[in-house]
Amino acid sequence: MRVVTAQELRDLWLGGRGLVLTFAFSLLLSVIAYLVATNQALNFLEHRETVNLLLQVAIAVGALLALLAAADTISGERERGTLESLLLTPVPRLEISVGKLVGSLSLWLAAFLVTIPYVWFLGRGVGLVGPALATGIVVGTLLAVFLASLGLLISVFATSNRVSLSLALLVLLALFVPTQLPSSAQQGWAGGLFLRANPITAGEHYVGKVVTNAHGWSQDLSWLLSPLLCAVVFGTAALIVGARFVRLGGGATG
Amino acid sequence: MSAAVEARAVEKRYGSLVAVVDLSFEAEAGEILGVLGPNGAGKTTAIRVLTTILEPSSGSFAVAGVPHSRPAEIRSRIGVLPESAGYPERQTGEEYLRYHARLYGRNRDDARAAARSLLNEVGLGERSRSLISTYSRGMRQRLGIARALVNEPQVVFLDEPTLGLDPAGQRQILDTVRRIAAERGATVLLSTHLLAEVEETCSRVLILNRGRVAAQGTVAEVAARAAAPRSGWLRVPPEETEPALRALAALEGVEAAAGGQPGLITVRLKEGDSMNAAVRAVVDAGIPLLSSELEGARLSDAFLAMTKAA
Repeated sequence: MRVVTAQELRDLWLGGRGLVLTFAFSLLLSVIAYLVATNQALNFLEHRETVNLLLQVAIAVGALLALLAAADTISGERERGTLESLLLTPVPRLEISVGKLVGSLSLWLAAFLVTIPYVWFLGRGVGLVGPALATGIVVGTLLAVFLASLGLLISVFATSNRVSLSLALLVLLALFVPTQLPSSAQQGWAGGLFLRANPITAGEHYVGKVVTNAHGWSQDLSWLLSPLLCAVVFGTAALIVGARFVRLGGGATG
Repeated sequence: MSAAVEARAVEKRYGSLVAVVDLSFEAEAGEILGVLGPNGAGKTTAIRVLTTILEPSSGSFAVAGVPHSRPAEIRSRIGVLPESAGYPERQTGEEYLRYHARLYGRNRDDARAAARSLLNEVGLGERSRSLISTYSRGMRQRLGIARALVNEPQVVFLDEPTLGLDPAGQRQILDTVRRIAAERGATVLLSTHLLAEVEETCSRVLILNRGRVAAQGTVAEVAARAAAPRSGWLRVPPEETEPALRALAALEGVEAAAGGQPGLITVRLKEGDSMNAAVRAVVDAGIPLLSSELEGARLSDAFLAMTKAA
């Protein structure tokens, strides 16, 4: 298990895209941190809201990186002609899938590490840094596992890498759309159910409750149900499907 | 099953599309079996089935004594250079081989030693620390062959290893193939379009056409099956062309005609051994014979005849 995973991490971080993506991520966070800090200074945003905003962006973009990296794994190797050599070894497909999933998730972990100093900078002085980081790592990891697993599933069956990446982005956009709906559309039992069922909106809602509203971590745990379920279900599905269906050809029949 | 590779009525279908039908053959230990066929003949599909990348639709096979029902075990005993294999551009040749050696269960030190030894064996020792992105196509193919040998395989499948290489590159690869069989005692299944090289490299050939076995046997056996009539040519001094044609006209089973150049006579032979009679007739007529060649006795003719006829 270690050999494939170690190689995936090496490919991603030594000379691969990992460092470039993380650098771009840190630039994005710098811009956002500057904007929210300015708004806070002008009293447009409260102290807690600035941290919440930054953390939500970090979680969303970090999970997006994990999704895109995972969507590029199998279909990308297929297109680069390197998958066949890997499949010709006696290494079980499950091991290959685990290695690729871990590699993709490492992007989220790197993104989170980059986020720490920004959260500390914006949240210092009001005792917010600890709860914000704890909430961020839990919610972000659940969402990253869910999205990376989804990306891997798409990549296994995609007929081309372009299809895989496009489909992954489309799904992500569909999941993010509810976060942009007006608050009136999020009212009532149907709106509430919709927010809770969508792991992205549910996760962000939980972060908001803990960071902005200063709720205890156990007060709104029900909002974590959807991200947790999705992470477990999609994570398990990705490994089962990966173990059985990682093949030289994409498509349903392989 | 004592043969290194044994296939029995192997078939691979994609829905209604039949890629390989009734593939049956054997390859003995240590031999080089040439797998020939025009584009779309099913060579790559057959190799992918035998290397467990694709599941057969029906039939059975065994590789290195392991039945196809145990694919992981087969994979641990074979080495494969796939057609159009890709390589990680950002790895060095040594890193690439080290990784693959580790995938076969070798520890770090063993993997490093195996990688260096194999790179030397395929003539890439001096470039072992260069990025693969800087390798030429020929170097990549040799790296691919080295990767195929990383687990000391009993059977090696090479799918078009000379594709896109210049003559010198082709020669290097074929020399390496011969060494693999001679020094390692491995069975090699070599898929290629280079018929002349197959004649001198392979002990036996398997010709596929439209997914079926069109012929198999030693090169001589397959070549001998080339469809008659065969043809050839004789070269005599230009001023002796007419007398030579008259001498040949008297022979049964030989149709002679002046070729495109002075002194060149083309002959069409209804029987395989008529060339001897044609040569004798010219010599007996007191005409100096400058050179002669019998065409249609080569693997290429057999290949063309069999793949055209099917």
